[in-house]
Amino acid sequence: MTSEAPPVTGLALQVKDLRVSYGPKRAVDGVSLDINEGEIFGLLGPNGAGKTSTLSAIEGLLQPTSGSILIRQVDVRAHPVQAKALIGVQLQSTSFQSELKISEIVKLYAGLYGVPLSKPAIFDRLTEIHLGDEASRRFSQLSGGQQKRLSLLIATVHDPPLVLLDEPTSGLDPQARRQLWDRIQGIRKSGRSILVTTHSMEEAQSVCDRVAIMDYGKILTVDTPAGLIEKHKNDPNVLAVARGQVTLEDVFIGLTGRELRE
Amino acid sequence: MSEPSAVTTPPVLPPLRTPALSEIFRALLEADFTVQLRNNRALLLSFALPLVLLFALFANKRGIVLGDPRFRVAAALTLGMASIAILGYSMTVARDREKGVFQRLRVTPAPTWTIMTSRLLVQVAAILAMALVLLVAADLFVGVSLTAEAYLLTFICVIFSSALFLGVGQALAGLVKSADTLNAVGRIAYIPLFALGLFGHSTIFGNTFELISRWSPGGTVITLLSGAMNPSSWNSDTWLALAVSAAYSAVFAGIGIRWFQWGAR
Repeated sequence: MTSEAPPVTGLALQVKDLRVSYGPKRAVDGVSLDINEGEIFGLLGPNGAGKTSTLSAIEGLLQPTSGSILIRQVDVRAHPVQAKALIGVQLQSTSFQSELKISEIVKLYAGLYGVPLSKPAIFDRLTEIHLGDEASRRFSQLSGGQQKRLSLLIATVHDPPLVLLDEPTSGLDPQARRQLWDRIQGIRKSGRSILVTTHSMEEAQSVCDRVAIMDYGKILTVDTPAGLIEKHKNDPNVLAVARGQVTLEDVFIGLTGRELRE
Repeated sequence: MSEPSAVTTPPVLPPLRTPALSEIFRALLEADFTVQLRNNRALLLSFALPLVLLFALFANKRGIVLGDPRFRVAAALTLGMASIAILGYSMTVARDREKGVFQRLRVTPAPTWTIMTSRLLVQVAAILAMALVLLVAADLFVGVSLTAEAYLLTFICVIFSSALFLGVGQALAGLVKSADTLNAVGRIAYIPLFALGLFGHSTIFGNTFELISRWSPGGTVITLLSGAMNPSSWNSDTWLALAVSAAYSAVFAGIGIRWFQWGAR
């Protein structure tokens, strides 16, 4: 059952013409995107745009209607176990068995990726994220920021080449958000690629190498944050919402509209 | 926050390997056993409830109306199995599904069948531990002692019939999404699934009721276990109970697999 991953080709993730439907409703409608090795790629969109559905299909939680997903050339649909070994995932809302201590949670997830961790090694990892003193506590006893840090640790416990983060900073105070983004950038510096969804345009603009804006299941535009602003700064819809210098948020609202979603 | 950095050549990452099934199972079993041992409600359901019924059936003189001593020990054993599977197992599954525990596990390389198999194995182990405690208590306190052969046959039949009640637990978790609703439904399901079987060897409510009771899920298991406790009395009724148990297990497990959903939505 043990097998080596295929050779690296420069692309951490290739999604082609992905479609996901919930009954008659099409949540993802022909999404294609490539993520380079060592890149932080932001997926932006209003609520219900199809971001989480796209991520769920990549993670193997949803069966796509059509399209292909390759993680380092491994086809997610044909080889789900091998593909899942190549990714680390932080879900939008995560929970673990309430009876387990957080050190046991880390041990469980390391074991699921075939990474045996001794007690001191687990403690070291927890200490790295300032949770060494909390090793005997339960997940529900941690603060929101601590829970997110632990979730990120578990997502990267096996050093995956691709990390998928679904709104990792939602509900966090500015200090915790800043600290988490620093950790995410640290993950990228070690050569990993990151696909992240966020509602924070400021964060996307300052942290992501490239971003895609998505709405109604389709990708509307992809570029670097500066490239997107440059490309759309004269768009009448963008100018209509801009208050001074055009920002990524202006581009986002200009392209996706002002009306409230969900 | 820093400015976005240009995409440069990243460090070469070490190749990842796919974990072996044995590694996945070891991790899951260790965690699931820990959860089971720390779950006070599960421990209470596993051991206290069947012991209470055992002593109640032997303390009360009218308990003899229900059947011979082995039948009454088998009834207590069946209650233990039903409690662990219908209230304990199905509730844990529904609760973890609502909290998103399963979705978190499903994004790991663990195949979905390993996640559920690990949980089921832990329940079977809990049922075996309960059976051992109950049979020892029956020997020490109510004078129902078994031969070595009977112990062995009883444990085999306990494992066999645990499939029936775990199948029921799986079916309930498949059909009822909400943990709160499942808690209520599980208690109601006790009546046809276990309590009805208590009258499987008694005609106090008439022959028709006895027949229905005897071949209800609980009645079938009680007949099977009481036969296993006295191998010399194993007869065509016991064989039939074995076959009916297998049929019930297949039906309930089929429902549980067909309608089970990993996510709460």
